[in-house]
Amino acid sequence: MKELNCRGLTCPAPVLQVRELLDKGTPSVVSVIVDNKAAVENVRRFLEYKGFQVQVEKFGVDFRLVGTAVEGACEIMPDLKPEENSGVKKILVMVGTNRLGHGDDDLGKALLLNFIKTLKEMGNDLWRLVFVNSGVSLTVEGSEAVPVLRQLTGDGVHVMVCGACLEHFKLIDKKQVGETTNMLDIVTSMQLADSVINI
Amino acid sequence: MVIDEKNVRLTQTVKGAGCAAKLPPGDLDRALCGLDLPVDDNLIVGLERADDAGVYRVSDDIALVQTLDFFPPMVDDPYSFGRIAAANALSDVYAMGGTPKTAMNIVAFPAKTLDISVLRAVVDGGLFTLRQAGVVLVGGHTVEDDELKYGLSVTGFIHPERILTKKSLKVGDKLLLTKRLGTGIVCTAIKAGRAGEAVTRQVIESMMTLNREAALAMADYTVCACTDITGFGFLGHLAEMVVDSGVGLRINSAAVPVYPEALEWAKMGLIPAGAHNNRTFRGEFVTFAPGVPQVIQDILFDPQTSGGLLIVVSAAEAAALQNDLAARGVAEAAIVGEVVAEPQEKIMVDVN
Repeated sequence: MKELNCRGLTCPAPVLQVRELLDKGTPSVVSVIVDNKAAVENVRRFLEYKGFQVQVEKFGVDFRLVGTAVEGACEIMPDLKPEENSGVKKILVMVGTNRLGHGDDDLGKALLLNFIKTLKEMGNDLWRLVFVNSGVSLTVEGSEAVPVLRQLTGDGVHVMVCGACLEHFKLIDKKQVGETTNMLDIVTSMQLADSVINI
Repeated sequence: MVIDEKNVRLTQTVKGAGCAAKLPPGDLDRALCGLDLPVDDNLIVGLERADDAGVYRVSDDIALVQTLDFFPPMVDDPYSFGRIAAANALSDVYAMGGTPKTAMNIVAFPAKTLDISVLRAVVDGGLFTLRQAGVVLVGGHTVEDDELKYGLSVTGFIHPERILTKKSLKVGDKLLLTKRLGTGIVCTAIKAGRAGEAVTRQVIESMMTLNREAALAMADYTVCACTDITGFGFLGHLAEMVVDSGVGLRINSAAVPVYPEALEWAKMGLIPAGAHNNRTFRGEFVTFAPGVPQVIQDILFDPQTSGGLLIVVSAAEAAALQNDLAARGVAEAAIVGEVVAEPQEKIMVDVN
C-alpha cells in the first residue's frame, strides 16, 4: 500500500501529488490524507478516473481516502497528455476587396474566387478568414464563393464577416456563411494570429 | 531572486487563482451578518441585496453605480492578467445596466520576488481594457504583499429607473448566458501545467472580453434582471436570483455552453476549491435531474473569472436578443433556461 500525506495542500496540489505517485507505478491500494473537503472531492475524482474504488473516512480532524485498484481498469483509462504545440501555424487571411489585383475588374473577380478555392491547400494552418469592406460580398446570396466558404467552415476554418460592412452595403440579411463580427474581434484575431495575409 | 516580466509564470507565485480565490460565501455571510450598516434614502441598491454593484441616487435621472473587484493572477502572463482583472471589475457595472466612467487601481505587489516590470505590464493591461471601455483611470493604491493581487474600483452612471438587479423575475422569461463556463477548471489545469496552448488562449481571450457588447445589446430589449457570472459560479449566482423571488428556475444543462476540455479535467479532479465551496453553500437550492453527469454539475458550480452576463429576457424577445448578440460578436450566447412557477425559489437542472 502506498501512503501520501497531503495535509496543508490546497487544490490542485493534492491531485498532482497523487498523480506523481501513480506515475511511479500502479499500487493496488493507495491511501491519501487531506485536510479539506475540496481536496477530498478532487482526489476522489482523480482516483476514480484512474480506475480505483474509493472510500473516504474521517481521520482525526483530517480525511483519509483509500483507493483500491479495480482489476484491469488502470490501463484502460488513457492519461490525458497536455496538447503538444503541434507545429500548426495560425494564418489569418484578410479579404478587404471583391477582386484580386488591379487592371481588369472581371479578371480580378475570377482570380479572387480562384484564390478562395485554393486556400484549402494551406491545410490546418489556415485559421481565420476575415471579410471587410467590399470583401463581404463574397459571403452573401448569389456569390460563387459561398459553397467554398461553407466547405472551409466545415473544415474548422473560422470565417468572420464585418457587421458594419454588411450594414453599409445593406447586405446584412443576405449573408449566407460566416460569423458576423466586429472590429475588436478582428484586431484581437490579428494579434493572436502567427501571420496575417492581406489581399 | 527577483523575476522579471519576461520570465514570470504568475500562477506559480500564488495559492489561489482569480475568482476561485474568493473567501467561501458562507464565511463571508457569517462575518457580515447583523452588522450595523449606515442608512441613506438615496442608497437604491446596497449591501443587503447582495447585488453586483451598489447604486446611489444623485438626482432624479442620475445614479452612481459602484463596484470593486481584485484577485490573485489566474494566468501566467502579466499583461493578460491586467486585461482580465479590468474586464472582470467593469463587468459588474454592465450587469446592472450602467455605463462605467472612472476607475481606480488596487494593487498588492511582492516587490521582493517580482521585478517592477511585472507591475508595469499588469497595469498596462488594465489600461488597455479601460480604453476599450471608454473609462478613465483616476488613481489607485499599491501595497507591498507576499502575493500579487490586482483589480479595480469602478464607478459608472445609470438612470435610477433603469437598474437591472437580480430580482423581478417573471414566469416564462428566458435565461440567456453570454460566455462559456469552465474558466475556473481550465485555470486550475493551467496552474497544474496540464492545459494546452489552444484552450489556454481561448479561455484567456474570453476572460479578456468585456461584457460591454452584451450590455449594449440587451439595452434594446425587455430585460428585467441581469447578473454576471463570477466567483460563486453559474448556479451560485442563480441561487442569489431565486432567493425571495417567489419563482423558480429551470436549467437545460445540455444547452449551457462549456469548454469541452473542462469536462475532462473535472473528471480528473482538477477542480478549484471554490467550486466545492459553492456547492456546499448553495447546493440546497439546486435539484439535479437523474442523468445530469457529475462533471456537468461540477462545471455549473465552477467559479468563473470575468464570466458572461446572465440576462433574463422576455420569452418573446429571447431569440431576437440572441441573434443581436451574435451580430455583435457575442457568438456563444445561448438560451439556457427559463423562469418557472414551481419549484418555488429552487433551481431544477434538467438533462435537456
